[in-house]
Amino acid sequence: MSAWEGILYGFGVALQPAVLVYCLLGVTLGTFIGVLPGIGAMAAISLLLPITFYITPEAALIMLAGVYYGAQYGGAVASILLRLPGTPQSAVTTLDGYPMAQQGRAGVALFTSMISSFIGSILGIVVLVVLAGWLSRAATAFGAADYAAMMILGLVAASTIGAERPMKGFAMVVFGMILGCIGTDVNSGAQRFTFGQTELMDGINLVALAMGLFGVAEVIGNIRNAERQAAPEPVSLRQMMPTRDDLRRIPFPALRGTALGSFFGALPGTGSTLSSFLAYAMERRVSRSPERFGKGAVEGVAGPEAANNAAAITAFVPTLTLGIPGDPIMALMLGALVIHGVQPGPLMLEARPEMFWGLVVSFGIGNLLLLILNLPLIGIWVSMLRIPFRYLYPAILIFVCLGVYSVRGASFDIAAVALIGMAGYLLALARFSPALLLLGFVLGPLIETNLRRAMLISRGDPMVFLERPIACGFTIATAALILVSIWQAWRRHVSKAEEGK
Amino acid sequence: MTITRRAILALSAAAFAAPAFAQDWPTEPVHVYVGFPAGSSPDLLARIVTEPLAEKLGQPIVVENKPGAGGVIGIQQMLANAEGGHAIGTSINGPLTTSPRLVPDLGYDVAAYIAPIALVATSPLVLAVAADSEAADLQGFVDLAKAEPGALSYGSVGQGSGAHLTAELFDAEAGVEMLHIPFTSYAEVTTSIIGHEIDAGFMAPSAAMPQVEAGKMRMLGVTSAEPFAQVPDVPVIAGNAGVPGDFKAELWNAFIAPAGTDPAVIERLNTEINAILSDETVQQKLLDMGWQAAGGSADDLAARIGADTAMWGAVIDRIEAAK
Repeated sequence: MSAWEGILYGFGVALQPAVLVYCLLGVTLGTFIGVLPGIGAMAAISLLLPITFYITPEAALIMLAGVYYGAQYGGAVASILLRLPGTPQSAVTTLDGYPMAQQGRAGVALFTSMISSFIGSILGIVVLVVLAGWLSRAATAFGAADYAAMMILGLVAASTIGAERPMKGFAMVVFGMILGCIGTDVNSGAQRFTFGQTELMDGINLVALAMGLFGVAEVIGNIRNAERQAAPEPVSLRQMMPTRDDLRRIPFPALRGTALGSFFGALPGTGSTLSSFLAYAMERRVSRSPERFGKGAVEGVAGPEAANNAAAITAFVPTLTLGIPGDPIMALMLGALVIHGVQPGPLMLEARPEMFWGLVVSFGIGNLLLLILNLPLIGIWVSMLRIPFRYLYPAILIFVCLGVYSVRGASFDIAAVALIGMAGYLLALARFSPALLLLGFVLGPLIETNLRRAMLISRGDPMVFLERPIACGFTIATAALILVSIWQAWRRHVSKAEEGK
Repeated sequence: MTITRRAILALSAAAFAAPAFAQDWPTEPVHVYVGFPAGSSPDLLARIVTEPLAEKLGQPIVVENKPGAGGVIGIQQMLANAEGGHAIGTSINGPLTTSPRLVPDLGYDVAAYIAPIALVATSPLVLAVAADSEAADLQGFVDLAKAEPGALSYGSVGQGSGAHLTAELFDAEAGVEMLHIPFTSYAEVTTSIIGHEIDAGFMAPSAAMPQVEAGKMRMLGVTSAEPFAQVPDVPVIAGNAGVPGDFKAELWNAFIAPAGTDPAVIERLNTEINAILSDETVQQKLLDMGWQAAGGSADDLAARIGADTAMWGAVIDRIEAAK
């Protein structure tokens, strides 16, 4: 079946009225759980799982997938309005989205995020259809050494974003990596820093960390302002509309973000969190005025949002073409298929074309629905800021607790989020970047596991990082990046010295 | 061993459970604790059984997913919620057999705090290699492994996981030495085998099968004593390529209750679960997921826990001695 035939066939599947309803249900639910802090796609899909036993497998997959990518749209909303990432992926959106909201440009930030999300998703679908075969080969060609080299590049590239001073940013990344050490060591099975708590054996809960650092810390920081309202006057339609200058700043960052997101999304286990951080780092690096970043740069919203949405689409590549789920949520969706007797695997495309093509077409329909759904909602979201803090913040705390608990049903995590929140408040007082802590926490364990695995497989020979072509490419890129940064710093130093004369 | 405070609480709570009369039981919804997330294999298996079980008991069943620490947290939570006598659990073999050796601060002693109800299903593992592997069959694989000790590597789903311990048992029985590369999921192991990063892996049949059908992997042997219905063409490892005839390694899944639960309640649950497992559609659903329906008495399960604890304990001894 050629791609065109496949797409036509897919329309036949995805446009069945019942399937369309489930698609709409999925993306709507996805948007809302994305908006709610802490409650992520994982929890929503777990709850929906029993329902899927009673509908057709393609409708089930299309609905669950809708929740998955719909959450990426919603995730940005609370990041922008309240500095409270709805999902860990959108943490980086707080860096410029929240300053925009504080400048009264919340509507523009939301518009930018929606449009970029849409661009990222639609191009992600094109990538999925055109490059699925190539991407799935890339996914199996990546070994532990390649992953380690790639993540190190990511870490070096993104380790100073959103920080006032490079050293402060670096300190947060390292602190995040140290927190990432907590739990069972994959290689030896040893317990690290678990202090006899079985709840810590699988590490600190990522959602608890993100919600504590951003959400709870923000609430604590605003306690003194409880009587105040964030945006007393209603927002006019004109304020919601981006200026021509804003519009000009969206397309290229969105395209670059899409490229990054499409690639990282397709690699099992790396996911959209990393891609949004990298997209942000890239925008700041290519920008002619990097000093605007962190103060409400439109590019800082457009790039990451396009990236995490593109990643959410191409994350289906290994799942659909190899039957290998890239993250726990994908594994959950495959579980829903297994219940229906559909065996996910390399042969699914031939054996059950309705699943693949139906899903691909539903991505397009779903994203269109999301755009139609979300653009009018911008006004409503912005008006949320008019709710007095004394009502809004307790509600936020309740949702944070619900969301954190929903991840694995552990009351331990609620205590953890409270503690992390207090620590996050102290960090915010000292002007340390929580986003970088999160980056270190996500990347640290991945780098450690892959680095040690690579060394184990190569029987301790570090040359593996130069012998494997992919790893070698990333290693050279990392070295080049470090050298360029040093050179730039030196040149700045020299020019300053000359000015001094 | 030291008895933790949590364990004492659990035990005393279980004692409260006894007065509930078996003929009235259950008087309220039954909570089934599962130590794995919704949609995982143990969770789906639990739901296949609890759906008809709820009908037979005349009370709704709430599946409580308490994932973490390889299933241990599910058991801890069952014990912590034992008061009232309506908390039972399902568990894979690990938390009942090997976790006491591998997890510090486990918080429960299997023999003292767990009342077995019934074995639900068993699953062997298959030895999988890439389709273009040099090893044509199990004998070829063993020959390769013997030619250069430590040259072949295998992936598992973690230190002390069934996949790891099975491979170590195979090493000992076949007289070979392979390099262990721990991963965290079969998805990673699969990618790594197909990408020729590692040579082999003991895998769940349902994880390997799609790749085998697509011509990317081959299965050299199965760890059960008899050929397994989901992969009937794969030869058993036992008695093959110099491996002793009593070689057998199976994962299993069972229903359990807190110790102190009324024996009549255990008996009732055992009878109902055995009835459910004798249903052919249930058996087929389990088989589609890679599980062979088992059943049997509560004492059978207790014996199985004891035998596997001893068998895997010896394997763990060997791993620790090699360190």
